[in-house]
Amino acid sequence: MQSVNDQKAPEREGATEPEPKNATISIRNLDFLYGENQVLHDVSLDIFPNEVMAFIGPSGCGKSTLLRCFNRMNDLVEGAKIGKGSIEIHGTDLQDQSVDVIELRKKVGMVFQKSNPFPKSIYQNVAYGLQIQGLKSKKIIDEKVEESLRKAALWEEVKDRLNENAYGLSGGQQQRLCIARTLAVEPEIILMDEPCSALDPVATGRVEELIFGLKAEYTIVVVTHNMQQAGRVSDRTAFFYLGKLIECDLTKKIFLNPSKKETEDYISGKFG
Amino acid sequence: MKPNDQDKKNPFVRRFSHERIQETIMFGILRSMTFFVLFCAAFLFWDILSKGSTKIFEGDGLINWEFLTEDPQTLHVTKDGETEIKLSSKKYYKLKDEKMLQKWNAFKQGPDYDAALERLNLGIKAIRKEWTEDGLQKAKVEFIARERESSLGKFSFWKELATDPQTTASDFELEIEKVPETISQFILGHLERESGRLAEVEGEIRNFRARQYPLIENPTEASIPKIESAYLDLLEELPTLLTEATTNFGREIQTNYSSFIKTGGPKAFANLAEAIEAYGPIRQSLLGKNGGQEAWDEMQACLAPFRQSMEITLPSKDYAYSGGGIFPAIIGTLLLVLGAMLIAIVLGVFCAIFLAEYGKPGKFLSLVRLAILNLAGVPSIIFGLFGFGLFVIFLDWNVSLLAGWFTLAFMVLPIVITASEEALRSIPQGFRESSLALGATKWTMIRTSVIPYAMPGILTSSILGVARAAGETAPIMFTAAYAKRSELPWEGLEHWTDFFFQGVMALPYHIYVVSAKIPQNEYTQDMQYGTAFVFLVLVLGIASLSIVLRNRLRKKYHW
Ligand SMILES: Nc1ncnc2c1ncn2[C@@H]1O[C@H](COP(=O)(O)OP(=O)(O)O)[C@@H](O)[C@H]1O
Ligand SMILES: [Mg+2]
Repeated sequence: MQSVNDQKAPEREGATEPEPKNATISIRNLDFLYGENQVLHDVSLDIFPNEVMAFIGPSGCGKSTLLRCFNRMNDLVEGAKIGKGSIEIHGTDLQDQSVDVIELRKKVGMVFQKSNPFPKSIYQNVAYGLQIQGLKSKKIIDEKVEESLRKAALWEEVKDRLNENAYGLSGGQQQRLCIARTLAVEPEIILMDEPCSALDPVATGRVEELIFGLKAEYTIVVVTHNMQQAGRVSDRTAFFYLGKLIECDLTKKIFLNPSKKETEDYISGKFG
Repeated sequence: MKPNDQDKKNPFVRRFSHERIQETIMFGILRSMTFFVLFCAAFLFWDILSKGSTKIFEGDGLINWEFLTEDPQTLHVTKDGETEIKLSSKKYYKLKDEKMLQKWNAFKQGPDYDAALERLNLGIKAIRKEWTEDGLQKAKVEFIARERESSLGKFSFWKELATDPQTTASDFELEIEKVPETISQFILGHLERESGRLAEVEGEIRNFRARQYPLIENPTEASIPKIESAYLDLLEELPTLLTEATTNFGREIQTNYSSFIKTGGPKAFANLAEAIEAYGPIRQSLLGKNGGQEAWDEMQACLAPFRQSMEITLPSKDYAYSGGGIFPAIIGTLLLVLGAMLIAIVLGVFCAIFLAEYGKPGKFLSLVRLAILNLAGVPSIIFGLFGFGLFVIFLDWNVSLLAGWFTLAFMVLPIVITASEEALRSIPQGFRESSLALGATKWTMIRTSVIPYAMPGILTSSILGVARAAGETAPIMFTAAYAKRSELPWEGLEHWTDFFFQGVMALPYHIYVVSAKIPQNEYTQDMQYGTAFVFLVLVLGIASLSIVLRNRLRKKYHW
């Protein structure tokens, strides 16, 4: 195993050092290609339960690509494929024949960069994931909608206008609605691809707070190119550069004392 | 160019340059072309609306409801007193009926009515004897005697011919082998004439002829008596049938007579006269050519004054297709448009979904697209022939709504597919990804997060496309359109499925028929432009409906 994978477990109070075998997601020597164009090179990384992992790095370095491997969203891209290596969630190889992407995506939710609620009511947006699973009972759906909106810290703001179009909400509210929509299907892992890039600082603050709060129940991977944000919300940070994982360590360490030169250059703003 | 004194004063003086002239000319061309197009468009609308409105607002200046709610009829131009009036068939015959009633009533109140009625009563009484028990018995006996006699004469003549073929041959200037054939011709001819002469029993005589055909075909001295005796047997049977029929006709006359006596109206009289008329031939069969001739003549004389008072002459010049209205054509066009729209949108949207969402970009897909684009360039008359060949002939749907629907639908399919595909592609990728990321299958994703949002776009372009198709004459000419059909599509259906297999009238085809297929006269132009007016309004209506629909859906799903 390479040196970048000599990872330390997140330092949390009362937490014991997690063993790599306890990892929720483990990536082993992953190469990823869009057609002929290889965009990930030999990436190995473990992500542990109930931690917030941040992916940082300059734009085009493959953060989104890696994230989208976790719920196999790359299946949609013509010619996208894994060259070698594997991704396992709880020890199951995602590329395995027996893996049903539908089930996988219920367990691995995703929040996109651009907030994209459906042009429906707030209520219907949150209920959507439940309804497509065939859930009919109005009572259960009502309960889950409320629960999800509460978890997404949106309930108080929207409880009186659940039947209004989601596009009447502000950008930050829309993004939290998207998070609520993801929470409603009860995932275990939540992937967020630059969730705050289109938001103003106040809205960003609220989403960050939310992410921090969700970590008790979920494993969260968040892509960002805002380093302060990584510093605020994540336990550990992985730095990518040109399709390679340069360094992955406790967030504090990455920011204060990175072990690689590229990391230091990036953090100090020499490029990016 | 050397600047002169004036140029010095004004540094911005206008110069004539090549570019400037070009610009002036180009601007002039652009402007005049645009104005030309505008002028043509304005003329088109003005022409149709102004000429059409003479029909739409005919008469008192209010909307001409007859034109909108009636079927096409013949126009009768007639005189009411001195003034010339134009009436469509229904009104014309109604007027005629009214006039007839007036004349009838005048006769009824006049001095001769009672006498005429009395005479009719006597006349009826006279012929009533014919269907009493006694009358019928007598007629029967006489019938058999009469027919027997004439038949015996015939048969003995044929026997003679058969016994002595030599003489027959020379008499008729025949070869001897041809004699039996000739006799056979005589017999067959005679039976044919008899079946024509004896009403009500022609079937029996025909059956007889068929039964005896083996004998008749080759008549010999021995076989003719056999035919004869069979025929005489038949003659014994016929009177029973004839008397039965007589009884029935008699009963008919009786009931019609009583109801005429009760009401005294022209309708009842017409029925009575008709029943008596129908009795004529059967009576002649039973009683012979001149049997009871006096009573019959008297009967006709009795009817004459009543008949006369029903006769009305209302001379008119008739113009086919120039009266009435276009209601069935309006209905037909609406039905055609709705059905074609439904089929085109369902088929088109399904194809578009496949192309936009499932199809993998590649050779096959570009081939399909190319085919669809080419389909859009096919002239509409070709679609008409295609629909005729496939739906009308091969699938045996006949000229029907269904065939028209599919033909029109196929014609607009390229428009619908292209429009729908565009609408589907314009849905943000984010909706698809979010849906999939929430664990939707591809179809669920398409059904719940793509189609609903694409619907406004699909509907608007498609409805507009189909509304255009509604204006085409060529595709429905062979597949769905009738030049004239008075019943409305929901009238006179034996089974509900018949609805789909009936032809309908349609506005564009009606315009074509009125302007090209019927003799032109001073009234056809009104009809043409009136129809065009309604048609234009209808198409504009459909278009604005689609816009309203789109706006509503857009309001519902905006992002
Ligand atoms: N759908 C795609 N098809 C082909 N190449 C892609 C696609 N998406 C991303 N790429 C390429 O992969 C590389 C990594 O992209 P991405 O993962 O989006 O980077 P990041 O999210 O770090 O900015 C980029 O060079 C980009 O051009
Ligand atoms: Mg990205």
